[in-house]
Amino acid sequence: MAKNLSGELQVASANRLVDGMVVWLDDAGQWTDRLERAAIARDPRGSEILLERARAESFTVVDPFLVAVSEDDAGVIEPLSLREKIRASGLTFDAIAAEAVRYA
Amino acid sequence: MPDTHFYRYDDYDKTLVAERVDQFRDQVRRRIAGELTEEQFKPLRLTNGLYLQLHAYMLRIAIPYGTLASHQLRKLAEISRKYDRGYGHFTTRQNLQLNWIKLEDAPDALAALAEVDMHAMQTSGNCIRNVTADHFAGAAIDEIEDPRIWCEIVRQWSTLHPEFSFLPRKFKIAITGSPNDRAAVRVHDIGLRLWQNEQGEVGFEVIVGGGLGRTPMIGKTLREFLPRDELLAYLEATLRVYNRYGRRDNLYKARIKILVHEIGAEKMREEVEAEYASMRDSALRLPAETIEAIARQFAPPVLAEQPAISGKVEALRLEDRDFALWLKSNVAPHRVQGYAIVTASLKPAGSPPGDASAAQMEGVADIADAYSQGEIRVSHEQNLIFPHVAIEDLPVVWLALGRLGFAEANVGKITDIIACPGLDYCALANARSIPVAQRISTHFAGLAQQHDIGDLKIKISGCINACGHHHVGHIGILGVDKNGVELYQLSLGGDVDFGKTAIGTILGPAVTADKVVEAVDALVATYLDTRSAGERFVDTYRRIGAKPFKERVYAAV
Repeated sequence: MAKNLSGELQVASANRLVDGMVVWLDDAGQWTDRLERAAIARDPRGSEILLERARAESFTVVDPFLVAVSEDDAGVIEPLSLREKIRASGLTFDAIAAEAVRYA
Repeated sequence: MPDTHFYRYDDYDKTLVAERVDQFRDQVRRRIAGELTEEQFKPLRLTNGLYLQLHAYMLRIAIPYGTLASHQLRKLAEISRKYDRGYGHFTTRQNLQLNWIKLEDAPDALAALAEVDMHAMQTSGNCIRNVTADHFAGAAIDEIEDPRIWCEIVRQWSTLHPEFSFLPRKFKIAITGSPNDRAAVRVHDIGLRLWQNEQGEVGFEVIVGGGLGRTPMIGKTLREFLPRDELLAYLEATLRVYNRYGRRDNLYKARIKILVHEIGAEKMREEVEAEYASMRDSALRLPAETIEAIARQFAPPVLAEQPAISGKVEALRLEDRDFALWLKSNVAPHRVQGYAIVTASLKPAGSPPGDASAAQMEGVADIADAYSQGEIRVSHEQNLIFPHVAIEDLPVVWLALGRLGFAEANVGKITDIIACPGLDYCALANARSIPVAQRISTHFAGLAQQHDIGDLKIKISGCINACGHHHVGHIGILGVDKNGVELYQLSLGGDVDFGKTAIGTILGPAVTADKVVEAVDALVATYLDTRSAGERFVDTYRRIGAKPFKERVYAAV
């Protein structure tokens, strides 16, 4: 499946103010914790506008910024950098559970 | 609160911490209400140990000189369960980090900490950070004096010190009271080593300008012998010189190690001594009664001498190989006959180094209550210590730790890895650390193999800030990002043993993440093939140099 890896596609991300969780700006100008709902800017001008919108909507988040993503034919988007992949999908190992007495 | 054998907060401490909680609660309220911008709020939350990391806020809780009472550890477990995801990460600064704290819950978490005389102040920012100490303090057989007395004195002096709240950069102090340095004093901004001179007086060797990070340096001795009562005045003089001349124009050159390097140890000594001369007899010269009052709070527990050998222990030693190995690696001699210091390994094979669940923390607290005078220590090597265990109780402690998954007989061995949180958590990291540590510890999990390899310290950092102390690992591993790919740079020969402190030397080109285990395997194989009798990995490296290691690693990867 072809992927657009050009780096031109961008989404706006931030951390939610009250709990620090990773969020993305959607088309309606709302912050969502679901990457698949993120608004995608497809060119440099669109990215500028997206970042401006994110900053304008930053009352409930901390320090919005742009994240380069890829998009496949099915419209599935994924951050290009490992850092942003980890922000989007969480730890790359299993953390121990609160009641666990042994690491499984 | 149960009796403890270390400092208990007085009314001044309690009021100060309670006021800080109230202030922070109001600051958080104003931030959430939009009355404070993030720019205004960030320094306030950092002053209270609250960072914003990749996925969430992280609360760094100060554990002064790595000493905890069982009720404090239970409270940490409770806080992690109530306000976080039920686990925490013990750090190389003897602190605890909770990785998923909500901003709105942070004031309540700090209030809960205050209930047990704890806080998160000065775990961030350009101030004097939590003072660290030998984790065997108060129990070590080689100890001249309990360094925690002096850590506490420094804590009281440095907490919210108005002159040193905005230093050029953060400032870390470590103190050891033993000739065998377990506190890495030569790689701190100031390292203090208590020792006894020929006249029988105890004083400090004052070591200044050590540090790891981007520019690793071994500290220089400014004073061979400083009388104990002059400590605070001398520290104040040193900090004043740093505050005056330390570089504020360049973040990467702002630590005191750069100042000492640039002006030289001799000039630094002159400046400090000149400053000190003007204040040596000031109020900072501690009266004997003040020192004694603090020291009384660290009075060791009364332990009746017992036989040095237990029939029960010797029988199990012969019967159970794992117990025998555990005795060798995880049990250290105590200064009172019939007692031992036990290290609970927070490095079971395949686990994130230094992590403990709430249930495990509670289990450790229970063991401490039953068998170690209710005391626990956190080591900078990310393990937990029971400082006062009767030799007779070693089998039952081993079994109890086994139920918690903390009885791995690997202390000081290849799987006793120090690792920072790395790119899985940290906003500064370039590469992951924990998964690398997990793969290495899984690969070398066999205890017989580990004990055959012997003492070997692997230290992993996910960026050049070196929270994982990679510069001083016998094998250091530094994660770097090259064009979006995680690569790992290996270094050899680092050490923090006193008199042998050394910064490791980079072996060659960095290797990809999937080749790190093979590379470490090749290093170990080279050592096993070439070691002389009694040589540790680092000794063999010093004798034969990097070449044989390098050839084998790059043939393997």
